[in-house]
Amino acid sequence: MMFSLGTSIMAINFRDGVILGADSRTTTGAYIANRVTDKLTQVADTIWCCRSGSAADTQAVADIVQYHLNMYAITNNAPPNTQTAAAIFQELCYDNKDALSAGIIIAGFDHRHGGQVYSIPLGGSLHKQSYAIAGSGSTYIYGYCDANWKEGMTEEEGINFVKGALGEAIKWDGSSGGVIRMVVLTAKGAVRHLYLPDNGYTGPGSKPIS
Amino acid sequence: MGGFDFSNHSRNIALHAKGVPLPQATSTGTTIVGCLFDGGVVIAADTRATSGPIVADKNCQKLHYIAPQIWCAGAGTAADTEFTTALVSSNLELHALSTGRKPRVVTCMTMLKQHLFRYQGHIGAYLVVAGCDPTGSHLFTVHAHGSTDKLPYVTMGSGSLAAMSVFESKWKGQLTRDEAVKLCSEAILAGIFNDLGSGSNVDVCVITPEKATLLRNYIQPNQREPKMRNYRFEKGTTAVLSEKVITREDISKYVTVHELGEDGAAGTGEKMEVDT
Amino acid sequence: MTSIGTGYDLSNSVFSPDGRNFQVEYAVKAVENGGTAIGIRCKDGVVLALEKLVASKLVKPGANKRIATVDRNMGVVSAGLLPDGRHFVARARDEAASWRRLYKAPIPTAALADRMGSYVQAHTLYSSVRPFGVTAILAGWDSEAEVPVDGQVGYGPASGAGGKKEGATHGGPFLYMIEPSGMYWGYYGAATGKGRQAAKSELEKLNLAAGNLTLEQGVKEAARIIYVAHEDSKDKEFELEMTWVSSLKGPTKGRHEEVPREVREEAEKWAKKSLESNGEEDEEDEEDKMEE
Repeated sequence: MMFSLGTSIMAINFRDGVILGADSRTTTGAYIANRVTDKLTQVADTIWCCRSGSAADTQAVADIVQYHLNMYAITNNAPPNTQTAAAIFQELCYDNKDALSAGIIIAGFDHRHGGQVYSIPLGGSLHKQSYAIAGSGSTYIYGYCDANWKEGMTEEEGINFVKGALGEAIKWDGSSGGVIRMVVLTAKGAVRHLYLPDNGYTGPGSKPIS
Repeated sequence: MGGFDFSNHSRNIALHAKGVPLPQATSTGTTIVGCLFDGGVVIAADTRATSGPIVADKNCQKLHYIAPQIWCAGAGTAADTEFTTALVSSNLELHALSTGRKPRVVTCMTMLKQHLFRYQGHIGAYLVVAGCDPTGSHLFTVHAHGSTDKLPYVTMGSGSLAAMSVFESKWKGQLTRDEAVKLCSEAILAGIFNDLGSGSNVDVCVITPEKATLLRNYIQPNQREPKMRNYRFEKGTTAVLSEKVITREDISKYVTVHELGEDGAAGTGEKMEVDT
Repeated sequence: MTSIGTGYDLSNSVFSPDGRNFQVEYAVKAVENGGTAIGIRCKDGVVLALEKLVASKLVKPGANKRIATVDRNMGVVSAGLLPDGRHFVARARDEAASWRRLYKAPIPTAALADRMGSYVQAHTLYSSVRPFGVTAILAGWDSEAEVPVDGQVGYGPASGAGGKKEGATHGGPFLYMIEPSGMYWGYYGAATGKGRQAAKSELEKLNLAAGNLTLEQGVKEAARIIYVAHEDSKDKEFELEMTWVSSLKGPTKGRHEEVPREVREEAEKWAKKSLESNGEEDEEDEEDKMEE
């Protein structure tokens, strides 16, 4: 039985950087194997990704990318930029497309390029987008996102956009659920957010990453 | 013509095309759990090994040693959990020797997931990895395809649903050692009594930064009761209707009789090897 | 040379008792006999120039280019054994291509210099190979713009990325020189080959560290320096080969290209003229000295 992240994930650009968001459900068939999964994975200091598809495949791919980016930073005396991460993710996803089931969104921040969002769907193509949604739950929120999207949102507007979209995805998609996790990436660094279903996804809110 | 015969492969493809399902790999029904507590981690398992519908071993051990402070509970194909944990245990010891440091639980978990991912799920090992290292107490699950989870309490195997129901209703934060052992045992008992694939006894392993303690057969809820009656028949129960004695001299008229040697070798043909 | 090898010069992987590797020193000798090659790092680009000694009257003038393009934004010129230089270029292209394959972006000049340095150094370690008989000068322009990932679809938000630090500059001109030992440094101006001493003293006069020299001026100076470096072997004929790589706003739009014929001829004319006037000055200098 394959463990899959029948998932709702997304990442958006906003005025000061990027925001990544995800639900927290991991399923094995009808069973929820993990109800508080962390699908937002760090691959470099200011580069993160959202994972959807097979848990094993996306974890393995993220681990390999993390290794490459570490090596890049050491050999070139400079941190990798988001493009580099996206390129390595794409290389792995495209070359091994027959063996992988992985839909990944990459989002990162650096001072030169600002916030960037890239999406790699199943076939291994690479798309640079203003915002990206993926996973089984994303089908339900194309309309919501299209209707509510604005370029250059404030952080608060961005968080509400992501929270609203993922809330709908969780509501309509049986394979998505649990808590809403977010990571806000700006010049100030990475900040994690957590929103629980217990209080209608209103809190507890943010916590800087140590 | 010599060489390997692949005709069975063609046969299997043809059968599969006709809709005959491929045979399932044998896997042991199991309940294994793990739970973090204040100052350490506990893992527990049932002790039933099955082979299809047959209970193959009523008291097997599903808690595997990996390193002095890292233990692993295994579900899935028994041989795979046994050999995978043994392999990682060996490599981890070599790693500890070459680095001169105590092995870490994340290292163990990473070695397991990379090994299992490489085999794309064909190694049917579903594991709960737990231990204490210089960075703290850790608890992970590792699935056969290579995915991992990090949680404060975990269950795996066919009895995982029964066991999880115990955790979900009774778990709280900041458990003591004794509370954690009790909670894990209860979860395993739920598996033993409600899951067909799990049964017999409860094994527990408590790991703290100081030491690991294996509590083998911590609970034995399925002790065999003494038989209320016995079925030995008293001597003389069966009546002797007639008796006839044939001497060796008499029988040697009809067949050849050999004298048996001291060790009986002449009679049995081959000498049996005996450990001394 | 101050001492001979006495057996310690026979193999690559052997040190002499006083810590020298004679094979590498002999390779440097091969470089010192080659035509002069120089590179100048200007504020808006880099120029490479080469004194190409005419091997034969039967070789077509302007053919057989010696300065190679390694990636779109990078060029290499070398002095020393020609086939070694060609192999160096082939390897540099492989390195640039392998970087592109993995990272889907052009290799930074510094990274290529590092990889080529390692490759050249590896040829000083094994008895089965000999060191490179070339010193290579590597010139590149790392893009100041945001470079997309090769093969990406789309460009992100129309209003641009959020949180970008405005006013910061990125990329720029880079110049490296790699020697047969594998040693490499970044330079404002680099020279190698027969006329390197003269070329170096001319480069020093340009005060390149100040970063005021424009690419247009750089081309003229490069031509002049090659002519100055050629003075010592005046009897031999030579051709001037020049390439450049500029910023995106400059004449090559961030690419490594041959300097157009008109620009080169203009530079050569200026070089010859300044050489003639300089010659007079030199004579005056000498007269001054004699008076002392």
